[in-house]
Parts: sequence; C-alpha cells; structure tokens
Amino acid sequence: MYKVILAIRYLIKRRITYFAVLAVALCVFIVVVVMTVMTGLVSDFKQKNHDFVGDCVVGTKSLVGFAYYEEFVKILEKTDFIEGVSPVIKSYALISSRGSERSYGVEIMGLDPVRHSGATGFGRTLYYRKGDVAKAFEPTYDSNLPGCVLGIDLALQRDANSRYPYAVSPAEIGFSVSCFPLTAKGALAKAGLGEVNTQTFYYSDHSHSGLARVDSSLVYLLFEQAQLLCGMAGPVERANAVHIKFKPNVKLKAGREKVASLWQKFKQEKAGEKQANLLDTVTVQGWKDYRRAYIAAMEKEQTMMTVMFAFVGITTVFIVFVVFYMIISHKSKDIGILKSIGVSNADIIELFSGFAFLVGLLGSGVGLFAGWLFLLKINRIENWLFERFDFQLWDRTIYAIGDIPNQMKLGVLVVIVVSAIVACLAGALVPSWQAATSKPIETLQVSQL
Amino acid sequence: MLKLFLWLRYLRKKKIVFLSIAAVALSVSLLIVVASLFTGFINTFEQSAVETIGDIVLLPPIKFTKYRLFIERLEQTAAVEAATATLSAQGLLHLGKGNVRAVNVWGIKPGRRAKVTGFKRSLLKQKDSPGELSFEVDGFPEKIGGFVGIGVLAEPDEQTDQYDFDAVQKMFGQQVFLTTGAVTRAKPGEDKTEFSSFKRKFIPFLIADIVFTGVYLLDKEFVYLPIEKLQKRLYPSEDSPIASQIQIKLSPGTRADVAIAQIRGLWQTFVDEQLNGDPYLRRYTDIETAKQMQSRYVAELRKQMGVLLLIFGVVSFGVVVLIFCIFYMIVRLKQKDIAIIKSCGAPSRSVAFVFVGFGACVGIVGSGIGVVLGYIVIKNINAIEGWIRVIFGLKLWKSSVYMFSKIPSEVDWGSALPIVLLAIVAAAIGTLIPAIVAARTRPVEILRYE
Repeated sequence: MYKVILAIRYLIKRRITYFAVLAVALCVFIVVVVMTVMTGLVSDFKQKNHDFVGDCVVGTKSLVGFAYYEEFVKILEKTDFIEGVSPVIKSYALISSRGSERSYGVEIMGLDPVRHSGATGFGRTLYYRKGDVAKAFEPTYDSNLPGCVLGIDLALQRDANSRYPYAVSPAEIGFSVSCFPLTAKGALAKAGLGEVNTQTFYYSDHSHSGLARVDSSLVYLLFEQAQLLCGMAGPVERANAVHIKFKPNVKLKAGREKVASLWQKFKQEKAGEKQANLLDTVTVQGWKDYRRAYIAAMEKEQTMMTVMFAFVGITTVFIVFVVFYMIISHKSKDIGILKSIGVSNADIIELFSGFAFLVGLLGSGVGLFAGWLFLLKINRIENWLFERFDFQLWDRTIYAIGDIPNQMKLGVLVVIVVSAIVACLAGALVPSWQAATSKPIETLQVSQL
Repeated sequence: MLKLFLWLRYLRKKKIVFLSIAAVALSVSLLIVVASLFTGFINTFEQSAVETIGDIVLLPPIKFTKYRLFIERLEQTAAVEAATATLSAQGLLHLGKGNVRAVNVWGIKPGRRAKVTGFKRSLLKQKDSPGELSFEVDGFPEKIGGFVGIGVLAEPDEQTDQYDFDAVQKMFGQQVFLTTGAVTRAKPGEDKTEFSSFKRKFIPFLIADIVFTGVYLLDKEFVYLPIEKLQKRLYPSEDSPIASQIQIKLSPGTRADVAIAQIRGLWQTFVDEQLNGDPYLRRYTDIETAKQMQSRYVAELRKQMGVLLLIFGVVSFGVVVLIFCIFYMIVRLKQKDIAIIKSCGAPSRSVAFVFVGFGACVGIVGSGIGVVLGYIVIKNINAIEGWIRVIFGLKLWKSSVYMFSKIPSEVDWGSALPIVLLAIVAAAIGTLIPAIVAARTRPVEILRYE
C-alpha cells in the first residue's frame, strides 16, 4: 500500500513530474493524431481495394487471358462458400471522344454489371444506375446505344473541396474504343491487315471507386462487347480473371485455399485440352496479394512514420530518466528510511516503476484526450484554415481524399499508450536501480542529513 | 573566462548533460534528414522536368504547322540557345505475345532534342557515341526505328527495384507494333465532329535504342519516333511539318521571365504572319518554364514537408523540457557554487548568463553532432535503404511509387541552417527558468552555517 501512496505523493508533490507528464502527453497527442489519420487513410485505401477486387481473384497477367473460365465459374457457383463470381476481361484500349483531336490510352474492364456487383463493390461505385445495376451500360438518354462506364476522373473534374460536379443525367458523349485483338497464341489478330477492333460506346455512368489510379484510367464495358473487341470471343472463349466473393462466415485465407485447390483440380482435368497451356499462367490470389503493389507502398510509409516517431520518442525516455534521477537524488533519505525498516530492493524498484507507470498513464490520458478533441474538430479546423488562409492539408484537386480520417482505432490507441508507459518505465529503470542499490548507512549518515 | 570554466566543469562533472546533447542531436538530425529528403525529391522532380522538356515549353491548344520557321526565329534571338519540336500522340504498343502497353508517343528529332534536354544521357546504346543521335537500326536503314522507355519493355525487380539491363538490351533491333490515331482535319463543308474523321494508324518499328531516365513515369510510358515519320502516318494529307509543342533551352544567364516575354512576342508575330492570325493559337498558347509547369505539385510537396517538419518540430519540443529538467537539477545541486559566485560580486545577470550560455553551448554541440549525423545518413541513404532491404527484406524505396530510381542524397543546407538555429534557441529557452532561479539565489540564505 505504501508504494501506491508514495507514488501518488511523488506525482502530486514533485512539480518537476509535471514536465515528464507534459512530455509524454505531447508525444502521445502527436502520435495519436498522425497515426489515426494515417491508419484511417491506409484502412480506407485497403477497404476500397477490397471493394474493387472482391475477396479473391483467379486470373492471369497475360492479356491473352485463359480459356474454359465458364466451366470453372460453374464449379465455383456450386460450392457452398462462395457468394458471388464474376469473370472479367482486362486489356488496354485507345479512346477518343467525339469532336476531340486527342486519343487516350486507357485500361478497359469488361464485366457483367450484376454478377460483378455480386462479387465486388462495383454497383456501389455507380452514380446514375446505383439502384439498378443491370442497366449500368444503358445510357439514360438512349438505352439502345451501347454504353460504357467511365472512371469518374475520366468523366468529371474535382473541385477544391474534392466534390464532383454531378449532372442530373450523363452527357451524351460517344467514345470510339479501339483494342488489340489477340489470338490464343498471343499474336495480333488481323496483324497482317494492320487493323484493330474499334467500336463506339456512349457514356452511360461513371464509377467512383475512390482509387485514384482506377478512377483516372479505367473504362468499364459490357463483358461480351469487351470480349469481342479483345478477340477473346469465338469457339473457345477466354477471360482474364474471375473475381470471387466469399460468404460472410468464410475466412479469407481458408476461402482462398479452397479456391486454389479447386483450381488445381480443374487444371488437371483440362490438361489434355487444346488451350490448356493458357491455364499455366493463372494464379489464385487473395485481394491483398492481388493489390499488394499499391497497398504495400502505403503500409511502408506508415511503418517509416512509426520508426521516425520511435526515434523522436527517445527524447521522452530521456526526460523521464532525468526527472526520476532528480526525484530519487532528492528522496535519498526517504529511500534510506524505507530500506532501514526492511523494504527490499525489489520493492524500491517496484515503487519507482509504479510511479513511472502513473506518469505514463497520466501523460497518455492527457495526450489521448487532447488528440481525441483535436481529431473531433480536425475537418472543421481544416475547413476554417481553407476558408481563411486557403490552406488544405491535401489539395483535393490533386489527391483523391475526402474528409481527413478521424476515427480512432482501439488497437492503435492501445499500442500508443502501452508504448508511452513502456518508454516511462525504460526511462525510470536506471534511476530506480540506483535507488534500490543505495545503502541506508550512507544516505542516513548524520553528515548527509 | 569564469563562465567557460564553469561550463566545462559542469559538462565534465554532470554527465547527464550529455543526454540533452544527444536529444538535440537526434532531433536535429531527424529534421535535417526529413527536410533534405523532401527538398531533394522536389529538386530532382524539377530538374527531371528540365532534363525532359527543356527550360521553357511552348504548348499551343492545337497542333500547328511551319514549326521549323518558328524554331529558326527562336534560335536567332540571344535568349534561346536551342529549340526543338515535338509531335505527341497516344497509343498502344504490342511488344510480343499478349504483351500490350499503353504508351505516350513523341515524334522527335533526336539530335536537336539532345541539344535542348539531357536526352542523350538517358539512351543506353548511344549515350557515349560521339556522333549525332539517330533512329537508324544497323542493317535496316529503310525501316522505321524508335526509342522505347525501359519500363515499357521490362519491370524492375521486385526486391532490388533494378532493371535487368542485359535482358533489356537483347531487345535492340526487335520489331514492335504501335497502334495510334489522329483526327484528320475535316475538309471545308464537312462536319468537324464526325467520328469517321478519327483514323487509326498502325506503325511497326524496330527498337533502335532504350531510354532510361531514372524517372519511372517517363521510362514506363514513353515511346519516341522520328517526327517526320510519325507525322506522315498520322497526318498523311498534311504537307507542311506540324508539331504539338516546342521545347526550348535558354542561353546561359538568361532570365526566364524575360525570355518568356520575348518568346511570346515572337510567337504572336509568327501566328499573325504564318498561321493567319489564328485567335485560338494566339490566345490559348501556354508558354511556361518547366518548373512553372510542375509548380502546383511542387507547392503541394512543400506543404507536406512543412506539415511533417511541424509535427516533428512539436515532438522535438520535448528537448526544451529535457534541457529545462537537467538545468533545473544542476541549479538546485549547484546552489552553493552560485552563492559563492554571487558573494564574490557577480551580478545576477552574469549568473543567469552562465546557464543560458551553457544551454546555448549544449544546443551548438548537439546541433553540430546532429548535422554530422544527418549528413552521414543522407549521403548514405541509398546504402542504408539497401541494408534494410537485405536485413529486414523490406524495400522502402521503389521507383514505381516515388518516381525516381534513386533516393535523393543531397543535404538541404538551406533548411539545415534554420533547424540548427532553432535548436540552439530552443536549448537556450530550456535553460531560461533555471537561469532565473539561479540569478535569484540569495547567498546569505545558501551560505549560512546552519
């Protein structure tokens, strides 16, 4: 009991302790704010990638694609762990709009809007046909025209507040889309003729996935039309990937392994078929692995930031060390008395460790509260800064970021608080050890009193 | 002299002061590293723009003819050292079985381009050749040759982020197929908005050289063809040479704003005389320096650097607290010294200066160490990143994410100086309260026998 009383007494009576608490609070405040924002951005980015991809992808990087996908889709649909399956065509195309002298290289994705919305979050990214995904490729101004869904940044331009100038209905714009038709052997179909497949599509909707690269370079077409354009239709049809969504109770890893096992079996069955060689390049990946190149970059930045904060946090350890060193050198008589009445070395260390724990806890508490308050108002503060001083944390016309993420994550907070307490304990370790090993006979000598 | 003696004595006797020096050094080095990385990135970004497109770019809203005449006129002025035309288009490049890439196509004159930009340095085959750059492929003088960005042909290694140059060089002379297109001008009386005017063009060419600029986007997306050949394919009915932009290198010592005014005057005269005074070309032609073209993005980067420095600066405020604690402790423990000095006649101001000066010295020494530490880290940043990759298997810098293949490794002395000064001031501020406490010490109370 005396340990608790003394620890609290030192905390209240020794004003120098407030500086240690202040240093911890400052550090915790900054780390909470920065990490909450960064974690929010990373989680948001991951979620958008997950929505874009679905849970799992069976696909190939080769633009030739792979055959017999329909049979595999049927196998997948018969299983009890899969909720949605969507085969897609992926390729590059050259598009040019009516009246424009310029043509743009874009990526195209051919899909069935209903199936794809069942496997991914595609349906939720639409604007005009959100409630009726089946009509995503039917322009509202003429449903008989072949439609295309544009990545939102190809269709609209964001303003300074990251808002798009949505119109009541899509503008009647036609796009000429040209693709390379490839043979199953990977050669250019019609190469001798110097021709590519070209078709005109009309702007029917736009997709806002929230992923800058996707929204600025992807044009969605109807599966069959994209298949024709890319030369993948014919007696043996081909696709580039199959997107899969698992049922809610299925864990991603387990689901992916089941799909991989089904794919291996399917591949073996098809070994003797004419285009079986195309199946060799097909991989089965979870959504995170499929989008690793993009996600890893953000995760690394978060790691680097954490490492930098760890470096700066060393100063806090130093502060706690100095404060404890001071307190212990001033309280050598207390320690001498405690030891002279039989308190062990371990108890002394425990007493000061408890004190350090209190400093860490109090500092973290103050820092957390300040961080929470700041995060609560962070978007308002940014708006105010933008209105008054034209300052934005991120220029929304450049970055595809909406509001600054301010949802505190319990896991992150726990790690920060534990780190702060550990830093305090580390800072107090050497002074505590010195206190524990001091000899009462020396500290309580008359000459020392 | 007495102050110096006391400072050295405290430094020797009170080892805890080294903690504050270490803390200052750590904070200063971190801030210098962050500032240098950002500034290095921004400088490289701006420099790469100049290396790619020259000092000034004249960018009309539409393609224009008779560019050779305009270039001649430009080069007659003292402000312009050289100028070159570019015809741009977009296309799809078929490299082999199932391997198709979306690319930007630039029609160029390689010899002239080398005079305006650092283009020659980025060519793998011809960079050291003494002659003028050429699209010609050995043994196939009649065929079209082209340059292809290294990233179009290959992906950098996932682990090392390096290209396999041996494998890439095997592609010299290989035939690839480019699909591009252009809107041909409608004849008088025709509907200009008709789709049929967009003509797709198919251009097979041989890879004459490979471009490795070290800038990921340029290496990943660009293909270069002879401007005349590209024009002939895209605009076969156009007799006079056409270009979509003019890139200009200024003479040494020329002020960019003066040169821009001069070029604009020349351009308007040229449009009036040679292009029938086309109001569209007169009014909507952008003439900007390469740096101005990047200014929005650069401003955003500078802002992010400022925010990051502010965040680390606030966290580094802990150093002030640390110095305060240490000096407070010294003052409390050295009250007798202070009382003796005061009893010998030293004024309070002088006593206070002992501690403030000592704090400033801690700041100077800590900053000095921090600068050295920051310098070592920045100069070896690529090696450090390599070690991290080898030891932890973590590739922190990738050209696909951060644009450039190398981490900028130049110390930003412009930022380092204010950081050092701030650190010294912060250290001195940390000692203010202890110095006041010391100055207010009353010798009669401290030196009493009891």
